[in-house]
Parts: sequence; structure tokens; C-alpha cells
Amino acid sequence: MNLNSATLEQNPWTRREFLSAVTQTAAGAAILAAQPSAWAASTGRSARSRRPRVALLATEIRKYSHAQHFVDRFLEGYGWEGQHHRPPFELGSLYVDQFPEGDLTADRRARHKVKVFPSIEEALTLGRSKLAVDGVLIIAEHGVYPRTEKGQTQYPRADFFERTTKVFESSGRAVPVFNDKHLSTDWGKCVAMVETAQRLGFPFLAGSSLPVTWRIPSLEIPWGTPMTESVCVCYGGVDSYDIHGLETAQCMSERREGGESGVRRLQAVRGAQVWDLLDQREPTRRLLAAALTRSFTAKGSPNYPCALPTLEWLKTNAKNPTAYFIDHLDGFRTTLFLLNGVVSDFNYAGLAQSGEIFSCQMYLPMPPATASLADFFNPLVNNIERLLLENAAPYPVERTLLTSGMTLRSVESLYLGGRPLETPELKVAYQAPRHSTYWRS
Amino acid sequence: MKPTRKIAFLLEEFSTPSPSQQLLDRFLMGYPHNGSFHRPAVGEFAVYLPPTHESDYGGRLKDFNLVAAPTVEQAVDGADGIVIVSRRPGAVANDRYAEIALAQAPEGAACFIHGALASTLERGRALAKLAASRRVALRSGIALSVTWHLPELALAQDTALSEALIVVQMSPPLPGSPGTLAGAELNALEGLLPIVERRRGGEAGIRSVRRLEGDDVWRAGDRKLWSWPLLAAALSRSHSPQGDPVLDGRTQDLVGLGLVPKLARHPQAWLLEQCDGLRTSILRLDGVVDDFNFAVRTAAGQTFSAQLFRAPPPLEHHFSLLAAVVEEFIGTLKSPWPLERNLLIAGLLETFRDPALRTGKAFATPQLNIRYRPTT
Repeated sequence: MNLNSATLEQNPWTRREFLSAVTQTAAGAAILAAQPSAWAASTGRSARSRRPRVALLATEIRKYSHAQHFVDRFLEGYGWEGQHHRPPFELGSLYVDQFPEGDLTADRRARHKVKVFPSIEEALTLGRSKLAVDGVLIIAEHGVYPRTEKGQTQYPRADFFERTTKVFESSGRAVPVFNDKHLSTDWGKCVAMVETAQRLGFPFLAGSSLPVTWRIPSLEIPWGTPMTESVCVCYGGVDSYDIHGLETAQCMSERREGGESGVRRLQAVRGAQVWDLLDQREPTRRLLAAALTRSFTAKGSPNYPCALPTLEWLKTNAKNPTAYFIDHLDGFRTTLFLLNGVVSDFNYAGLAQSGEIFSCQMYLPMPPATASLADFFNPLVNNIERLLLENAAPYPVERTLLTSGMTLRSVESLYLGGRPLETPELKVAYQAPRHSTYWRS
Repeated sequence: MKPTRKIAFLLEEFSTPSPSQQLLDRFLMGYPHNGSFHRPAVGEFAVYLPPTHESDYGGRLKDFNLVAAPTVEQAVDGADGIVIVSRRPGAVANDRYAEIALAQAPEGAACFIHGALASTLERGRALAKLAASRRVALRSGIALSVTWHLPELALAQDTALSEALIVVQMSPPLPGSPGTLAGAELNALEGLLPIVERRRGGEAGIRSVRRLEGDDVWRAGDRKLWSWPLLAAALSRSHSPQGDPVLDGRTQDLVGLGLVPKLARHPQAWLLEQCDGLRTSILRLDGVVDDFNFAVRTAAGQTFSAQLFRAPPPLEHHFSLLAAVVEEFIGTLKSPWPLERNLLIAGLLETFRDPALRTGKAFATPQLNIRYRPTT
């Protein structure tokens, strides 16, 4: 039988035509043309004259370091909404603080002609006297840095930020800034970062990729829902993955009726204390169970991996379990469980006043185990693009100010042997946006 | 849902992890479902393995209410639910087990086959006829047909479609598994048919099939026999591009940079022309990505794409979604999807093996003029 030739000719694209179209799309001219006013206002230049430039300040660029994920998504593009999307920005400059074995800075510079500067100031001014970029990304995760006596790694986020804003001030102009993960291990510096952004009037976005990654199932808590508690069950270390877990919970909690009120008190504990405190909290136990049902990794038995872990199983099999019990000012509660040996994913459950439980997994395609790319950075980079294009943060930096505070005060509570801490400084009240910002299209 | 008195599992092998274990364990131990842990209410479990594969099922005979039956007949005796799981989805052992099970099962039972319904369309039709005559509900399928889509597909029912494409890979072959049908093709059909059968008019059947391999696959794309833009849309959903991303973590526009032909090992394509004009392309691209992704174009020119999500081993929780479907099927006898889908897939897999397809020319498939409407 002969196929109908008319049918075969309906596809209007050949490979050559398609490649050509992709290349043209990559220039991002159409996107810029649609957004001329914001950039003309912030840069003082015609939006059509060049692609806006971004400076990326990194601690280190090696395979699977956070900075590598961001750098490559700006240089190479990434899968987004059913196409390979290239950000309409030029990665105009890089500052790299450390060059470990496996460093990829030279490779990226050679292949993409990215300018690498020896100082933050030169990266921001492109070696000239005034600010010469249109946005700044601070990716200070990974690398070798001093640790505090409490075990926190002192990544230089606040230092990078301070040096950045000094350039803003000396230039008489400020541009949007993104800060990866929590703000600082020092609360005073966290507050100063947010206040400086407010004082200089530039949009400031920060935080983890967890709030914006896939949710399985795709779940958003209806804005304004009366809620009583959020639980995140996840894995990882203190002062590293705990912030991801807290952001997992907070991006849901902040949508509750009345918005976020801030945190009044918290207690972080390890080992048997986790279960002792949990025994006193029936709703938390229910939410823990609900969150575990969303895990793709929760094993309840060595012989029978499909069995769901019971509380008794958790008590005997979680390796050094850690939990943060956090009381908010409006009576709401957040509980974070770091259950290494039980799960290796991030799972959420929230309790509404009605008794309804919302639950999902914030899914991370994590290389090399389940993916070759850490594509949970795709929605984070896309939200950064929105920050740059719209000159406004798509979600409030107060979320990350609060989770930074929850993290560093929980670390302190752990350091003090699980002592409860009053946290009057964490009265960080804010309203979440009604719109959703997670990956769902 | 009526309580289940007895479920019989007819297995070709049992190992951990395997589809047999994944499904059996979920009925024995329960599974997560809609945010809670659900334990199926089943009175009795029977399991059958061929004598050559004797097993204590990893301790399950002792730890659970599981009875090893010496014969298929004894396993299915009195069972209101029968689950047949082959070593690999689509293995021909299904036919033999299914014939015995359908002949022996009590009236009103439900029989679910994990994998293809049968090794040929004719045998599939015979099973369907036997099931109908004995008033036993019969369906087949795999977890890929019910798994999560990333993102959840916003394609409305009854949307007119013009083209569909899916990218799959060959699963690593199991040693010593004769008679196994190709897993990649089954995955592709089970992944894509549930989506395209929702189009305007429902599934219209297959008019012709063309098989291509090697550089002919790329030449066919250039001749517009399949769509490069749809391939790009599908691959944009992948989390596992191969090549440079594996080496140094970089993202890459695999299609835009012309990397797909360079990365693909032994590429194969099956180009289906449906009776209503829809064109469906199955691309087996080993070495390009390591997940299953699809894209469809509507008649209005919109493109929708998604990844067919496979949850990580050893739990592989897409089997929890399938277990929920099977449990409801057994408990309600309500069809999760039309049996015609299973017949069409069996017929397509048989056609894919036909040596006549090696010519690379379109192969008329009047026997696959199988029309049906999706279950709503």
C-alpha cells in the first residue's frame, strides 16, 4: 500500500528549517521586544540594542555544583514548556571564588566566550568604573569554606551581596539580584541583605528550587485556606538540606488564611527526642504518615521495600533522625523531619482546619541516580528570568528570610542539645502571591 | 467495590524487583493511594509459578497469607481476581496462562494481564471471545499507561489531533528470556495510545505501518514522514539527555544542535498512519535520552508534550497507580479502558515483528482497523 503523499507533506518543517528557527528563537528578540519598558527603565538603554547582561558570582563551577547548573542554563538553555528555551540574557560575566579539581570555568569560558573576572567588582562593571550588568546571580553553594562551631558552612553569600550592593551604590544604579538558597548563617546579615535591597529599591529573589519544582501530584493549596500545620519529610544534613525542607513547607504554609505571621518559638532535636516530641502531637503523626505516602523512596522493611514505614520502623531505622518543631505567631506549626535512611526525597503534608490533608512530593530529578540533569533548576532559572524581565520578584524574599532564620535558629537549638528557643527576631510577616510559581506547564 | 474473596497471581518468575513482585506486594502489603496507605481487602491469595521456578517468594509464603498453588487450575479455583504477570511485559506465556485462567475462572471474575494481551491479534481475539463466553472481565496493560505525566497533560478530550510522537528506549534484555516481545514498542504503545485515543472521534484504527532503522530514520524526518519539531518538544521534557550532559552536567538542545543522530545507537522508527489521518511516530532512540517522552500536535497547531514518569527503583511507585486500577477492576468489573485498546496493541506488536516491515515501505494493516472510544 502507498501512503497518501498529501498527508505526508502536511508537516511544514524540515530539520534544516527547524534548526534555523531554533537559532533565531534563541536570540530572544521577540521576548525583549515584548518587554521594552522595564529594561529601558532599569538600564537606561534601548531594550533592542543588546541582550541584557547577567553577572553570575559563583563559589565554584564543577560538575553538579549549584553554579554549574545555573551557568549552563543561561549559556545553553533548558527544556521549558515543550521546547528548548534559551534565556533572553547574555551571561556577561563570571566571578568564580574557587577552582577545585574538575573545575569547568575554563571550559565554559572557551566554548562560550564568557568573561571571567578576578573580582566581584570587575564582574559587575565588566572591568569599567560603573555597574555594567542588568542582573546579578549569587550562587554561593559548594566549595571549601570555614565552618562555625555549630557546624554551619560559611558560604560567602552575604559577602558577595554586600560587595554587589556597594557597586550598586557607587554606580547610582541597582539591578535585580537572585541569591541561591538561604541568605546567611548570621541572622543580622540576613536582615541586612533584605533591608539593603529595600533601601536601594531593587527586586531581590532568593531561596531553594524546592518550592518551584515539579509536584507529584501537581498540587497547590488554595490561597487563603485556613490551615494548622505543615510537615516536610526529607533527607540530608543540617544547614544544607534542612533549608530545602523548610522552603518545601513554607511555600505551602504561606498560602494559609492570614498569610505568614512569623515564628515565635522553635525546638530542634535529634534521636529519641524526635519520637518523644512526636508522641505528644497526634496531628503531626498524621501528617508524617501522609507525607510518607508521597515518597518514592520510603522503605518500610528490608525484605519488603513496598511496605510503608510505620512509626515503630522509623524509630529503629532512621539514622540519627532530626526534627525541627516550629511554632508560628498565629498558632500555626511547621515540622521538619530529616529522616536519612528512610527517605531520599522531599515530601509535604499540610493540615487544613477542616481536617483535609494536602500532600504531595516536591520531585527532584536528581543526577546521577534518577536523571542526567538536575532539571529542578529549570523552574528556578525561569523564575529568575521573570525577576529580570519584570523587574519584580515572582515571590517574596521574606519567605527565604524566614526560612533562613528558621534554619540558623534550629541549628542553634541542636547545638544547645535540643533546647527550645524563643525567636522574637523571626517576626517576619508577609503575604504570599495568589499565583502559583511551581513547575506545572 | 465488592470485597475480593480470592486473588490468584499467575507468574512466570519471581524476583526483586520485577513486575511480579511489584504487583504482588502491593496486594499483599498495600500501597500509597491518594495520600494515604491503602490495604486491599482480599480474603485469600494464591500464587502459581512453573515448577522450574520454585520459590518461597522471598519469605512471603511465611509472612503473608499467601498460598503457593501447584497448578494454574488450583490457583484460579474460586478466584474472583486473576493477575497474570510474565517475566517481561508481553511475554508469550500470557497466552497459555490466560487460556487456562479464563477457562477455569468462576463467572463474574476479572482477569488482568500485565503486559500485552496476547502474542498475536488472533490469539488476543480468541482470549477475548473466551472471556466473553465465560463472563469473565479481561484487560491488559502496564503501569506506563496510567502513570503521572510531567507536566499533567492539559489536552482536552475530543481535541482534534494531527500528529503524535513518542521517544522510548529498549529496556536491557533479561538473560534467557525467550519469546519476549520488545519492551520498547510495548512501552511506546501503552504510553501513547491512552493519550491519542482521547482525540476527536476516538481511536480509528491503524491503516498502515512503516518501519525504519539507521540513517533512514533521519532521512524520513527530513522528508517529513515524522516531525522534528515534535521530537524537539518531546525531548525538551527529558531529564536524562545522554552524551555531554552525562559527562559534565551541561544542558543541551539535542535537536537544535543536531546531536540526536550522533547519539542514537541503532535508531528505529515505527510510523503509523491511523484511519482518521492521525500520524503517530514511535522513535526508539537508545543513547539519546533515558526516559519516555511524547508530544502531540492538535489540528489547531498547538503542541502538548510531557514525560511519562517512571518512579525510581526499587519501589517504582507507578506500579502503585497500576495496582489501584487493577484492584478497582477486580472489585467493580468496571473497565479501566476498552479491550479494543489491548487488541490493537497486540496486533501492532505482532505487525512490528513481521519480516515484511524490513523493506522500510508502508505496510497496509487492514486487520488493525480497530475502532473504539476511550473509557470516560
